[in-house]
Amino acid sequence: MMTYIDYKTLLPRTVIGVLIGLFVIIPVFTTSVITLSILISSGIWAIAVMGFVLILRTGQFSMGQAAFMALGGYASAILTVNLRMPFWPSFLLAGVISGIIALIIGLVVLRVGGIYFSIITLAFGEIVRILAQYMEGITRGVRGIIPPPPPTISLAGLEINFAAGNPVPYYYFMVLLVAIASLVFWQIGRSRLGGTFASLALNQVLAEHQGIHLMKYRVIAFTVAGVFTGFAGAYYTNFLSIITPLMFGLWQSIQIMMMSIVGGVSSIVGGALIGATVLYTLGRYLSLLPIYNIQYLLFGAIVVLVLLFLPKGTGLVDLWGKFWRKVFREPEEYEMPEETEMAVE
Amino acid sequence: MPPAEIWIDGLVQSCIYMTMAFGMVLVFSILGILNWTHGQFYMLGAFVFYYAITTAARLRFHLPIYVSFPVSLLVSGIVVGGLGVLVEKLVIERLTSPGYGMLYVTAATLALIFFFEGAAGMSFGLLDKGLATVLPGVLELDSFSISYQKIAVIIFTLVIMISMYIVLNRTKVGLAIRAAAQEPTAASLYGISVGRVSLIVMGIGCALAAMAGGVMAPVYPINPFMGRLPMIFSLLAIIIGGLGSLTGAIVGGIILGLLNSVIAYYVSYLSEFVLFLLVIVILLVRPQGLFGAPIK
Amino acid sequence: MSLLELNGITKFFGKLAALEEIDLKVDEGEVLGIVGPNGSGKTTLINIISGYYRPTRGTIFFNGKKISGLRPDQIADRGIVRTFQSNVLFEGATVLESMLVGSFLQYKTKDWQSFFETKAYKDDHERVVGRVIELLKTFDIFNDIFLPATGLSHGYQRMLGITMALIANPKVLLLDEPTTGMNHEEAMFVVENIKKISEQGITVLVIEHNMKVILNIATRVVVLNFANKIADGKPEEVMNKQEVIEAYLGTETI
Repeated sequence: MMTYIDYKTLLPRTVIGVLIGLFVIIPVFTTSVITLSILISSGIWAIAVMGFVLILRTGQFSMGQAAFMALGGYASAILTVNLRMPFWPSFLLAGVISGIIALIIGLVVLRVGGIYFSIITLAFGEIVRILAQYMEGITRGVRGIIPPPPPTISLAGLEINFAAGNPVPYYYFMVLLVAIASLVFWQIGRSRLGGTFASLALNQVLAEHQGIHLMKYRVIAFTVAGVFTGFAGAYYTNFLSIITPLMFGLWQSIQIMMMSIVGGVSSIVGGALIGATVLYTLGRYLSLLPIYNIQYLLFGAIVVLVLLFLPKGTGLVDLWGKFWRKVFREPEEYEMPEETEMAVE
Repeated sequence: MPPAEIWIDGLVQSCIYMTMAFGMVLVFSILGILNWTHGQFYMLGAFVFYYAITTAARLRFHLPIYVSFPVSLLVSGIVVGGLGVLVEKLVIERLTSPGYGMLYVTAATLALIFFFEGAAGMSFGLLDKGLATVLPGVLELDSFSISYQKIAVIIFTLVIMISMYIVLNRTKVGLAIRAAAQEPTAASLYGISVGRVSLIVMGIGCALAAMAGGVMAPVYPINPFMGRLPMIFSLLAIIIGGLGSLTGAIVGGIILGLLNSVIAYYVSYLSEFVLFLLVIVILLVRPQGLFGAPIK
Repeated sequence: MSLLELNGITKFFGKLAALEEIDLKVDEGEVLGIVGPNGSGKTTLINIISGYYRPTRGTIFFNGKKISGLRPDQIADRGIVRTFQSNVLFEGATVLESMLVGSFLQYKTKDWQSFFETKAYKDDHERVVGRVIELLKTFDIFNDIFLPATGLSHGYQRMLGITMALIANPKVLLLDEPTTGMNHEEAMFVVENIKKISEQGITVLVIEHNMKVILNIATRVVVLNFANKIADGKPEEVMNKQEVIEAYLGTETI
């Protein structure tokens, strides 16, 4: 089902460093609101995609990931607006709340597998959406909640002002958030946890008989995904300074899945970043065209084409891997066994 | 007790969910996959029906409505059924070949939702289209009244269910379908091509969805996104009845339509909430649903 | 006290009895062969001991502690590890990856230590890799560790399955038809390796169709027929029992 890519054999660390450096200094070259907001949104969706792929690694196809964005977003908005909590504690709490709900839901529903799990998560996502829509006393229904911008931070004489109209601070905070998420997901993929998760997807029965507690690891993956997806939702809410029930519904959950496919599920971090950026950017620019709905048509077509024509649906990250292999003429040999690490990610 | 109109509305919904759920389960029992694009075939069916019936009127064929209505339905069934066969052949068949996990075909049918909605939006526009003038009028009975459009839905469903019963039980094709559903390997030993049965079943399933969309076109406005809700509700109906059971699809459809309508009568928004919760509980407690089909 | 003790194990599938009132004692260091015609309940027995099925009635004790009703991973953790009848492998993984993923129970460090790559984890990992390679060398699968496991020949795939079970530190190894579908040489390759495993002090419970294999390795044989135990004893004695011959001849003629 899956092949995993070891970036160490593909990309020298310096190249990764240069790429990260380029992303960090983008606002020096352009402060265009559209460019930066596209990058910010792509990064946020990429975090949600990472969560989806992590759950997929345990063999579960979740169709309710956007609901955790909604939970994070509403938690942060309700805490700041209704309960008048300061921004930063409420932002942190949003991720925690989303994670706790993921833990509870996970403990109940993760023993169901396959298509049944997909339908349960679909139903869960819709229930979250319905509650957000009709608990008007708390969520203001379809009108949505408008959180105030985060307070200005003074750091060593530097004023970081989140006031509207200036996306640069939001951009840097997105880079930080994505960096933390990437680090955690990357490390999970590399560590024994990643191998354990993968074994559940590759052969659940065999994995269980090798001593792996199925539920425990499914719940871990689901909860970690829930925490980060919650942070992504909370941050997106504050970046757009609004949250409505329709921002994170079933169709957004499906979009998260589509981003993961386009990027490729063979790598948690790389695939998510590529998939989310490509699809989100494409969608934003296509929606500027006077042809209505062409972005939906193309999204669907791209996903189906990727599934049909890239080897076993491994997505763009594999093409990118092949490209680097060509550039650096890395011999397609393996390392000596003595140095081998868990060959996952 | 809710008034009769509520029950009739529920029954009309039941008819649609039943027809759609029947097609989805038929496809599931042969191909082993849930076709998430089913709702978009319903939507495309409604559009084809709309263009068929308005074209007939514009060209001044002067066909009586009891001819043009069923003929347009058939046209939409054939056109969209053919599209379904094409999707099976070009996408699903290739992604269900050995070596691919469930992920690929599920992702593909989910992506096709956006593809078809985008295509419909581009070709037909995003504005609601109405066909309310087709089959106008209301049948007044002593205690309640029912519009002819709704009667058409109920008659259509009866006809479809009876003809499906005949096809599955009295024809060679039906025998092949049932054989392939129960024992794919044995069926192929007896010379039944499971690949061809898959195509036929996908064609039938999509045609049913399309005709359901067509017959509902006069009742609800037509737009590219109209397929989403019926698809989700048919899915819930399938879970209530039991994934993989045709009887389950019919009974689940009836239960879901009536339940939805009656709960909505008392508390409008609660109905969706209750239905989704019910489905979660069913999946946790009794995943095989009411009709205990074996879990594949 | 026996190492593994089955008391009155009964398993029904619907109304069909797959096992009826099976009592069985396995002593430490034995190579116990379980034979019987198709459908006699052999594989069900392994599925029940390993926790894949729950027995309808009856209890299983291991080292004096009750293990029936536990999950497969708990039973593997206690030291009873099984292999599968067909080649059950991690799809798409190489030989080395399969072994490392299968070494879950071999690690002494916790998940968080692996996440933070602590010194303890790195040492532990090195030890596990060493152990994996040692095992692979012992069973002669070392040459192909970077090949996809499914690319191995049938006999080696089966041997990989057994090696994966061994990396989980079993006290009791349950082998489900380790030589089905093999030619004579492959079967003998597996038989020699089972002997090696037994020499390491691991108790082996082996289900087998091939009588030659059983007579070659088993120190004791149990015969199942129609869900019941019909014989239990030394291989030569059991094979000469009238009921056993009937049970086998009966199925041969069908």
